[in-house]
Amino acid sequence: MKPAVFSYHRPRSLEEALSLLTLYGFDAKVIAGGQSLAPMMNMRFAQPAHLIDLNALPQFAGVTREGDTLAIGAMTRHHEIATSATVRAACPLLADAAATIGHYAIRQRGTLGGSLAHADPAAQMPLIASTLGARIDIAGPDGSREIPATQFLTSVMTTDLAADEIVRTVRFPALRAGERHAFEAYSRRHGDFAIAACAVTAEFAGSKFSGLRIGLGGVADVPLVLEELAAGFVGEAADTRTVARIADAVAGAIDPHDQPDISAAYRRDLVKALTARALQRVTTAVPQDS
Amino acid sequence: MSEQAFRYLNKAVPRTEDYRLLTGYGRYLDDIEIAGALHVCFVRSPHAHARIVSVDTTGAVAMPGVVTVVTGRELAQWTTPMRVAPPIEGLVPVEIATMPIETVRFQGDLVACVVATDRYVAEDAAEQVIVEFAPLPVVTDMWQALDADAAQVDPMVPGNLVSHQTYSHGDQQSANRRAFRVIESTFHQQRQTHVPIETRGCAALWDAGRDHLTFHVGTQVPHPLRTQLAARLKLSESQVTVISPDVGGSFGQKIALYREELTVAALARHLKRPVRWREDRLENLTAAANSREDFCRTRAAVDEHGTLLALDLEMREDFGAYCFFPANYLARVVAMVLSGPYRLQDYAFDVKVVLSHKCGNAPMRAPMSITSWVMEGTMDAIARELALDPVEVRRRNLLTPEELPYRTATGELLTDITPSRTFEAVVTALEYRAFRERQQAARAAGRYLGLGLCNVVEPTTYGSRFYKAAGIPGSGHEASWIRIEPSGVVNASVGLGPSGQGYESAMANAVAEGLGVAPSSVRIHLGHTDIAPYGMGSRGARSGTAGGGALYLCALDARRKVLAIAAACLELPDDDSLRMIDARIERRSGDEWTDAGLTLGDVARRAYLDPTSLPEGLTPGLEFHLTYDPPPMTYSNSAHACEIEVDVATGAIRIERYVIAEDCGTLLNPTVVEGQQHGAVAMGLSGALFEHMRYDETGQNVTGSLADYLIVTSAELPNFEIIPLHTPSRATAAGIKGMAEGGVMGALGALTNALNDALAPFGVVADRHPLTPMMLRDLLRNKL
Amino acid sequence: MEKKSIYLSVNGARHEVHCEPRKLLSDALREDCRLTGTHVGCEHGVCGACTVLIDGRPARSCLTYAVQADEVQITTIEAVATAGRLSPLQQALHECHGLQCGFCTPGIVMTFEAYLREHPQPTEAEVREALSGNLCRCTGYQNIVRAILLAAGRMRAETAHV
Repeated sequence: MKPAVFSYHRPRSLEEALSLLTLYGFDAKVIAGGQSLAPMMNMRFAQPAHLIDLNALPQFAGVTREGDTLAIGAMTRHHEIATSATVRAACPLLADAAATIGHYAIRQRGTLGGSLAHADPAAQMPLIASTLGARIDIAGPDGSREIPATQFLTSVMTTDLAADEIVRTVRFPALRAGERHAFEAYSRRHGDFAIAACAVTAEFAGSKFSGLRIGLGGVADVPLVLEELAAGFVGEAADTRTVARIADAVAGAIDPHDQPDISAAYRRDLVKALTARALQRVTTAVPQDS
Repeated sequence: MSEQAFRYLNKAVPRTEDYRLLTGYGRYLDDIEIAGALHVCFVRSPHAHARIVSVDTTGAVAMPGVVTVVTGRELAQWTTPMRVAPPIEGLVPVEIATMPIETVRFQGDLVACVVATDRYVAEDAAEQVIVEFAPLPVVTDMWQALDADAAQVDPMVPGNLVSHQTYSHGDQQSANRRAFRVIESTFHQQRQTHVPIETRGCAALWDAGRDHLTFHVGTQVPHPLRTQLAARLKLSESQVTVISPDVGGSFGQKIALYREELTVAALARHLKRPVRWREDRLENLTAAANSREDFCRTRAAVDEHGTLLALDLEMREDFGAYCFFPANYLARVVAMVLSGPYRLQDYAFDVKVVLSHKCGNAPMRAPMSITSWVMEGTMDAIARELALDPVEVRRRNLLTPEELPYRTATGELLTDITPSRTFEAVVTALEYRAFRERQQAARAAGRYLGLGLCNVVEPTTYGSRFYKAAGIPGSGHEASWIRIEPSGVVNASVGLGPSGQGYESAMANAVAEGLGVAPSSVRIHLGHTDIAPYGMGSRGARSGTAGGGALYLCALDARRKVLAIAAACLELPDDDSLRMIDARIERRSGDEWTDAGLTLGDVARRAYLDPTSLPEGLTPGLEFHLTYDPPPMTYSNSAHACEIEVDVATGAIRIERYVIAEDCGTLLNPTVVEGQQHGAVAMGLSGALFEHMRYDETGQNVTGSLADYLIVTSAELPNFEIIPLHTPSRATAAGIKGMAEGGVMGALGALTNALNDALAPFGVVADRHPLTPMMLRDLLRNKL
Repeated sequence: MEKKSIYLSVNGARHEVHCEPRKLLSDALREDCRLTGTHVGCEHGVCGACTVLIDGRPARSCLTYAVQADEVQITTIEAVATAGRLSPLQQALHECHGLQCGFCTPGIVMTFEAYLREHPQPTEAEVREALSGNLCRCTGYQNIVRAILLAAGRMRAETAHV
């Protein structure tokens, strides 16, 4: 399958990129890693008249610790995020999740910004960004704006980006000292998009939860961050019984689509199991009250 | 042929093909540079069933770089239709046009062909061909297909029933009356496709000066394809040369002469320019060939100890819209060998093959793949129903060595197979008793382990007498030639069509063994119809037995002449005291063999350059030709055992261990055999777990990419443990039995049986593939 | 059909290519650079047969447009064996019977030439995970995994002696 004809542009600066987007609007598509866009173009599901290649913008890539925040350029490759010592130190949940994206070769090219802009409901980066409350820095011709990931991701494969905007940087809050994390995803084969995924962070005071975040991917149009539900378990004993109750509650809180090959009932089963597993992992070695 | 010590056979050697394939210098179809070649792209139907009202090519033809756009009307002038009408009872003849003119029968069916300067342009132009369709009612279900009001797929096939065969042997009724229980089991195998990593493709060059077509195509059957191609183009066979280059996998898909290939050849002749085609993956998945999609129901009459008294098989297969080969063939093979290694005389079957509005079927590695799953699943059902041990039920019914040769209920003669031996070997290797204890302990801890067993009797090589007896046209023989050159190196050829099985080294071994030279001095030529002798090609698992056998026997002929000439060189009255080892003549005196100071090169020079000095009756040169017709049927056998753990919360299956014990006779190259075992089991597990060619109720194919049609990756497979238990056939050349499909058969059964064993505490049985996590959870939900 | 003139740097040699922007790097390598060792299996980035190295990192050449690749160093299978001598990985694949039809093989070699440089001591599980991005229909993967582990061991031994 060969793509349809397009004109190719490779801007050397952000200004140049933005002016191209302004000029061509919806006739243009930005290409970063190409691991999601190129298959669609090759199958002619996407037929942009203009392709704007961001790969000549090295300033858009890189990982920087800014105090309690991890700032990652939109063109940073998944492989770098998965293996960066800075990411592992500040935000290991992000590194763990990035390491599961696709396959080794895909991670060399695929980018953080590309994954967020693509907004696949089952993808890792949108899930982690939403769960951690990351902020997306967007550049446009009229300047930049910064919005939370949960506001950026609006629906299936849909974001808040205007036709003349691009993602520039994503800022993840660093995990706090003592905060534990777990990422659990399930797909039938290694490297496929997850059928469902669960990201958890937890903090403990003695044997009880003092902080809890739960995010789910693959069960709705956008990642689901169960803030209220999680908050409801703060103060409870971080033991196996609570874990089971949380998993049940989480499974009950979702309303996935019924698809011919994957039923809503199955997704609920899976979410329950993944949530339980993620919580078991973060609660090991928590002192249990007798 | 009794046990004999081979010098080259049964010894693992690395392959000779590897250097070019590892370094990127293989020569696959697309690697062949053809100056000035045009590229085609087919316009395909978006509808599963429709009348073609009109085809407007004007817009497409006007595009720069487009040479022409043709439809079925042009192809009907340039070619003849395909007639599939073997004189088989219960099989309805069909005729297939090169390209549809009036009606399309599946989503992806051919409508037109664009010829352009490159594929990119051709795809652009294909989008500009405007086709008006009148959609027609669709049938996509093999049960609805036989309803009185179902849409008709092929006007020549009334009621969509293209084949119906029944058979009965013994007295089932009486057996059923005697029986303690009659146990019914069902098996649903899903629609699949071959997915060779290299898709289909071809290139046609028409020599207008010589009136000759050279056709490059990856094929398992170069000569039969050439015969068909010539006939369809109304050319003589001498006007067509088929050349099969390195092939990136086939698994049965690259056998039929496809309509696209014929179209490319016809275009080259008409345009007097080279024309080539590369199928893309979307086409390969949706429009090349599908396979499998069978349903089986068994009714097993048993006594209270689990002895099988009688068996009844009902089978149905969905063949898709077109019969590119006889529809009865595969289903018939399933029914024929169903009883496998078990004692059974009272047996009946009823096999129906129906058409539907889906891509037509082609044989896919182990087209009878469902067989062992059905028989072994039936054995497990008997054990479950009667609360008996599944190993004991099998032991009770397995043929013992003393009972062989055994004439099955369908008239097949089972001989030189060792099913009890392979079965016991896997039972021992899996440490059966210890497993049951582990399984018990695991269940108490909420973990679910399962063990599945599957015995396989694999029909590998069909001889001509089999076809004759079954009324199927065609031959099972294979042809070979060997030429020893004046310098003593050896060229040889056989009519097979390789697609990755390492024939170059395996067949060199066969020649080396028969002749008495090192394999490294033998060069094997394959796939070129002007060079290779007319053979039936590679299919089933016949290449070892028929191809290797032919070369081995031909090499024995060559050796006889060589030794006769050597005797003359050494001024001996006969060659009784001579042998040749690694191209050196040795002479025996007493019990000792000593070098006679004569090489094959010396003998060859005399044969070619000094023929008057040859012994009386021997002609100049050292060139030999031999055809070999193997026995009507040859079998190999194996036993598969699989240990799994099921994650009942998610429905995921993890394979912990997989053991195979196999007897496939003499091995041309054990290295290659092991690779085939791995590949076959992997394909079977992939089919059982992941693959599914799906159509929705309107006939739209919803699995058109490798992201939708899932094949197994390295992360899902275990290491396979192989226990070789080879015993030679007494009826074939060099005792070769052949293999390569049994692994698929064994995997389907072993995995499914393991799953059902794991789920036994829940009282559920999985009877359909793929064994998806969703399906497992559906079975288990509300039972946990 | 606007064609651009670009220079691709492949295996250390410069190739002048005239092509439309939409031409896939896989096609440009095969047709314009006449390096047919890189194979095309799907054109949607799943099978991995087309994997090459871009600046030393594995990448699916079917998901890159040739025009995107004129400022990078591309390495293909043809550059792996040097002076007719197979690399340790190629040699191990041969010894372990890690290829049958060979169509997926170049993609696997390119992936692991890079992977083993970054992960010189992988476990079998890590190898199977890393290999899962390359589809093989012939081998069942087992001998490929064995070959990769064997090559990794030999490459470590070589570095130890240096």
